[in-house]
Amino acid sequence: MSWTPGDEMLVVQRASPPGAAGGTYRAFGETLRGLKTTMSRLVEGPKTISYPEEKVPVYPRFRGRHRLHRFEDTGLEKCVGCSLCAAACPADCIRVVAAENTPENRVSAGERYAAVYEINLARCIFCGYCEVACPFDAITMGHDYEMSAYNRTDLIFTKEMLLDEPLERTPLRGEGE
Amino acid sequence: MSTDVTRPASEYRRMEESITMAPLEPVETGDDVNHELLTLNMGPHHPATHGVLRLLITLEGEIVRDLKPIIGYVHTGIEKTAEDKSYWKAIPVVERMDYLAYFFNAYAFCGATETLLEVEVPPRAQYLRVIHLELNRIMSHLVWLGTSALDLGAMSMFWYCFRDRELILDLFEQSTGQRMHTRYIQVGGVAEDIPRGWASKLKQFTDQMPSRVDQYKDLLANNEIVLQRLRGVCPLAEEELLKLGVTGPLLRATGNPWDLRKATPYCSYDHFDFKIPVGTEGDNWDRFAVRVAEIYESVKIIEQAMDGLPEGAWMTDDRKVALPPRHELATSMEALIHHFKLVTEGFRVPPGEVYFPIESPRGELACFVRSDGSSKPARVHMRDPSFVNLQATAPMTEGSYIADLIATLAMLDPVLGGIDR
Ligand code: SF4
Ligand code: SF4
Repeated sequence: MSWTPGDEMLVVQRASPPGAAGGTYRAFGETLRGLKTTMSRLVEGPKTISYPEEKVPVYPRFRGRHRLHRFEDTGLEKCVGCSLCAAACPADCIRVVAAENTPENRVSAGERYAAVYEINLARCIFCGYCEVACPFDAITMGHDYEMSAYNRTDLIFTKEMLLDEPLERTPLRGEGE
Repeated sequence: MSTDVTRPASEYRRMEESITMAPLEPVETGDDVNHELLTLNMGPHHPATHGVLRLLITLEGEIVRDLKPIIGYVHTGIEKTAEDKSYWKAIPVVERMDYLAYFFNAYAFCGATETLLEVEVPPRAQYLRVIHLELNRIMSHLVWLGTSALDLGAMSMFWYCFRDRELILDLFEQSTGQRMHTRYIQVGGVAEDIPRGWASKLKQFTDQMPSRVDQYKDLLANNEIVLQRLRGVCPLAEEELLKLGVTGPLLRATGNPWDLRKATPYCSYDHFDFKIPVGTEGDNWDRFAVRVAEIYESVKIIEQAMDGLPEGAWMTDDRKVALPPRHELATSMEALIHHFKLVTEGFRVPPGEVYFPIESPRGELACFVRSDGSSKPARVHMRDPSFVNLQATAPMTEGSYIADLIATLAMLDPVLGGIDR
């Protein structure tokens, strides 16, 4: 080892050996000191949150279940089926099948649209890379974290499910709170 | 469904039966029944093994005579998976190895990649990394302290530690968007700047954390039962530990001040003034005291880093590596092309190999990356400290009581996600 620490080292204070004369003192004195920690918690009151009746609000950056978006004015889908999100996904859980928009059937604002858009939430690791990758802000990470299901197949979310408003909103807190 | 015992054994069953456990040395027992050896299987699902660790213990009465750790129950093949992903996509995967030190995993990997790429990380990003790494260290130590105290029978410690860990996870959620596995550290910097109001919340946390640790120490450090369980129990000499390659708080407990943050400063750790807690005897009590003292030092580092946080970019401006800023996507064709290229193929890394060691809460965590010049790593290997440290279990505990084995395992602080990878 070529390195000497000098005064950057801090030797931790060694406790005295158990038992002996000090043992009798510690059995009372130190136990009482420890109880001070325990008892002063009574004053603080409980920290428990009664989930699911009470929910902890999430922060704006929290990455929960994905949302697909539409343009507010025209109602057209923002997603153009470019599959960039699928390319970025480390868990390979997005499936996009694109189709051409036609004048009779215009779904998205671009030339093409996503005919199939599925996210397998059983595989998703909520890294948010899809959100980062999407150049059109079509997919974002929402705030919902309650996604358990009885069936694995129920965890494959289709385009319609991702476009819809979530059934129940997760409470959100402001940036500085 | 009936179980047909006459059915020919399946291929799997044959394979399973072909394995013979290494025979244990018979000890001359005579006809004294008290000296008979008992082989006991502990784990893989045992509350005291801190994960899915399986121990095959040979006992003579209550004394441990032999011990074999059996690992691999949470093998996930992450190293292999990383070879199939571009560097950018490998970050959240690699991050999931040691699930209590995710910032460290990500930083080891990103640091190795940055060394190969020779990108400069802006100072603000370095400081933000340090803050998050040290928060992560405190978080990991709190989990260790809570679960270890639980093993010793101090139940309320567990709740106190998890209450304070919650504050850290809250900070992580606010700044990175996720409580665990945050993918905050990226190649070339960090993903986002800290949000408004985060600094004051962090200040609140660093202000109260030392007094919280004081309370823990009041409860544990001189408690007669804790002393009986820890002091002078299962020591191992420095030379033995060095021979086994053990690092981190276990090695420092023997008085060897080997800490990579000081020995080979990385990520501007040399800007901060902090001390390295060391022990003297290297027994369980020293292991406990060193980790507790490290929490105070980490708080000091966070305070200094927050006070001296430089202004400026938090991501390198090297467009070959970093994604272009979002607002440019709508206006600049060049940015859009870069974005497509980085997301689909990723950046290419010049050929070479690098070993990038950092000090994780459990010791030297290093990432070895070999690049063949393509956009995917040719090999990723993690030197995980838990894996190396686990080897010391047998020499530490041979000849001690089985109850002390539990305490030693707790003080060893193994994380099975990191061991099995
Ligand atoms: S959050 Fe990550 S894992 Fe999940 S769909 Fe998006 S890119 Fe894939
Ligand atoms: S969500 Fe975005 S990235 Fe994914 S296919 Fe649609 S437009 Fe492309």
